[in-house]
Amino acid sequence: MTDTLLSPEPSLRQSEGLFRVRQLLDNVEARPAPSLIAEPAKLNPPPSKAYFFWLMAPAILLLACISLYPFFWMIYMSLHDVEIGSATWNNFENFTRLVTDTRYLKGWTLLFQYSLMCLALQIGIGVFLAVVLNGSRFEKILVTTLLMPMMMAPIVAGLVWYFLYNGTFGWYHWLFQSVGLLDAKSILASPGTAMLGIVLVDVWQWTPLITLITLAGLKRVPQDQLEANMVDGASPLRNFFSITLPNLYPVLLIAVMLRFMDNFRFIDSALVLTGGGPGNATKILPIYLFEVSFKFFKLGRGAAIALTLLVVTIILGMILVKVFDRQQTRKS
Amino acid sequence: MARVTFRNVWKKYGEFAAVKDLNIDCPDGSFLSILGPSGCGKSSTMRMVAGLEHISAGDILFDDRRINDLAPKDRDVAMVFENYALYPHKSVFENMANPLKLRGQEGARIKDRVTQAAKLLEIGHLLERRPQELSGGQKQRVAIGRAIVREPKLFLFDEPIAHLDAKLRAHMRGEIKHMQRTLGTTMVYVTHDQLEAMSMADQIAVMHEGELQQLGSPREVYNKPVNAWVAGFVGEPAMNFLTCEITNAGGKLMLTHPDFALALKPEQMKCLNGAGTAATVRMGVRPDALAISMTRPAEPAITGKVFVNELLGGDMIVEVELADARIRVKTAPEFAGAPGEACYVTVNRDKWHAFDAVTGKAFF
Ligand SMILES: Nc1ncnc2c1ncn2[C@@H]1O[C@H](COP(=O)(O)OP(=O)(O)OP(=O)(O)O)[C@@H](O)[C@H]1O
Ligand SMILES: [Mg+2]
Repeated sequence: MTDTLLSPEPSLRQSEGLFRVRQLLDNVEARPAPSLIAEPAKLNPPPSKAYFFWLMAPAILLLACISLYPFFWMIYMSLHDVEIGSATWNNFENFTRLVTDTRYLKGWTLLFQYSLMCLALQIGIGVFLAVVLNGSRFEKILVTTLLMPMMMAPIVAGLVWYFLYNGTFGWYHWLFQSVGLLDAKSILASPGTAMLGIVLVDVWQWTPLITLITLAGLKRVPQDQLEANMVDGASPLRNFFSITLPNLYPVLLIAVMLRFMDNFRFIDSALVLTGGGPGNATKILPIYLFEVSFKFFKLGRGAAIALTLLVVTIILGMILVKVFDRQQTRKS
Repeated sequence: MARVTFRNVWKKYGEFAAVKDLNIDCPDGSFLSILGPSGCGKSSTMRMVAGLEHISAGDILFDDRRINDLAPKDRDVAMVFENYALYPHKSVFENMANPLKLRGQEGARIKDRVTQAAKLLEIGHLLERRPQELSGGQKQRVAIGRAIVREPKLFLFDEPIAHLDAKLRAHMRGEIKHMQRTLGTTMVYVTHDQLEAMSMADQIAVMHEGELQQLGSPREVYNKPVNAWVAGFVGEPAMNFLTCEITNAGGKLMLTHPDFALALKPEQMKCLNGAGTAATVRMGVRPDALAISMTRPAEPAITGKVFVNELLGGDMIVEVELADARIRVKTAPEFAGAPGEACYVTVNRDKWHAFDAVTGKAFF
């Protein structure tokens, strides 16, 4: 009998009549008496941070001694013409000459090329591997195996690959060649492919890190959201892009940050593999910096290059941190 | 809209059986409530219907179509999750719009439906916020909103209003029931609150430790519980139980307790057929089938002492201490007995139950 009372006319069933809207908020009985409470006269002071400052002070002091001193020493050098035992002021010449130094500018382009290629491949392959491995039966064993390249000293990795790439007895060279991807020259020997050669080594060594970080992220993807989305009508692929990936952003950002900073700083394997050659095809900025400083012993110019590299790294790092922060504040 | 049938459904987590041999038939357009204490397998049942949990044994059918192997997205159900399961990186609006978007509805219609549902749930002013900026009750309403924006075959509500305040809960009970009737969509509604089940459902399935105890209308479950456990679980305040004996006094069967004796009615005797005389039974009687007075009434009465009075606004619950037990009696708030005073309790002869003392099965 209540049926007839409650159901609206069939014509209304289509859209707005669907719900009987009873607005509690508009009813007098749902509203409490108007507030007469005044703002407090004085707010309590915020909690003091001095305590934390003193806790951190020793660490900061130590850091200052071991890291700030060389930093200022580098700035000093970059402004002078440095010989062994003497340093003469040279009116910012170290910096002004960089603007016209083509190898320096080329170094930047190559560095960005190198680092972007590494990042794209590592993130792509790393995330893919993580998704495949996550929850699989042999996950533990496979992940442990996968981590091995990471444990190797980069310089050793460089040497190992140097032999694998070798044009006369390299096994990979033979493999590439028999598939028809390469001609008789080693991948490192021709300017067109050398960059790919060193990128591959970096990808081989550091993709596992991305996989590891992503796996940790995947474990934290809330199961209930995936389930809700499935019930809402999402296919597994759609589910991955609309739930899993957004939840992975923070960890992926950290991974990107770590890897790009390393690409800007560590050149061990590249140095062993090509040393910047053939010609200048793989002379990314850090290698050029190494040459200027320690082959030609232009320590002043080297310091100037290092300083520009540092500044750019810091700026890029800060941009990433900002993006990361925005993600975090959006999340919580 | 669909008729939902559970046919010998089991859910096993390893060795542990969370749902055992469940058989329920829920007709098209009806409101089924699954009622039971925490951990009895309600959510597991629900998740099997939604396709989030493998059905260990048996079948679930929508309109005679076996859906065991269907992907969740193809089952066309809308679910409210126990823990809300909102998308933290989406706004309330986007959360609620998600099911429509995934099914390719166009923008204007999505906006329409979402605003309507939000208005119904009184969360219209929260649409721009993100789930982290909401209270528990508001989140719960968003979760309901996400389910009702669509017109699915089946609604699955898993304790959808457990976190709301009493007033809003009462309001939402009415709204959900009304919405379900208006849409005519079949509803499976999980709750551990028997008041919710009673007031909303066409059919209640009472579960305990994975087993279906009783399936019936709210009236049946309340008035004719199949066993002592159901009788004790349904009803607030809970039913009183006393251990009694059936004795034969000159051809008439009597229910005897150290404190009182009660003659059985003929139809009650018939129901007892299995148990002979001198059998022990559990007598069950609801607080509202008892009457209390401070003076000795004419009819036979149980003598006890007032233990404590609880005033519930319109009613009063008096706990009475007997020799070996305590019983609760519902009475008018004017009742004046003070704790410790002697009082007399009479039993409504039509409104009590007898259960097997060993198995708990109901005789009547
Ligand atoms: N994934 C799982 N693995 C193992 N055991 C589980 C799993 N999920 C649930 N259980 C067990 O199954 C039983 C039923 O769980 P379920 O979630 O269905 O209970 P419920 O009736 O919904 O309880 P509540 O009212 O507390 O939500 C519980 O004893 C629980 O411990
Ligand atoms: Mg549950």
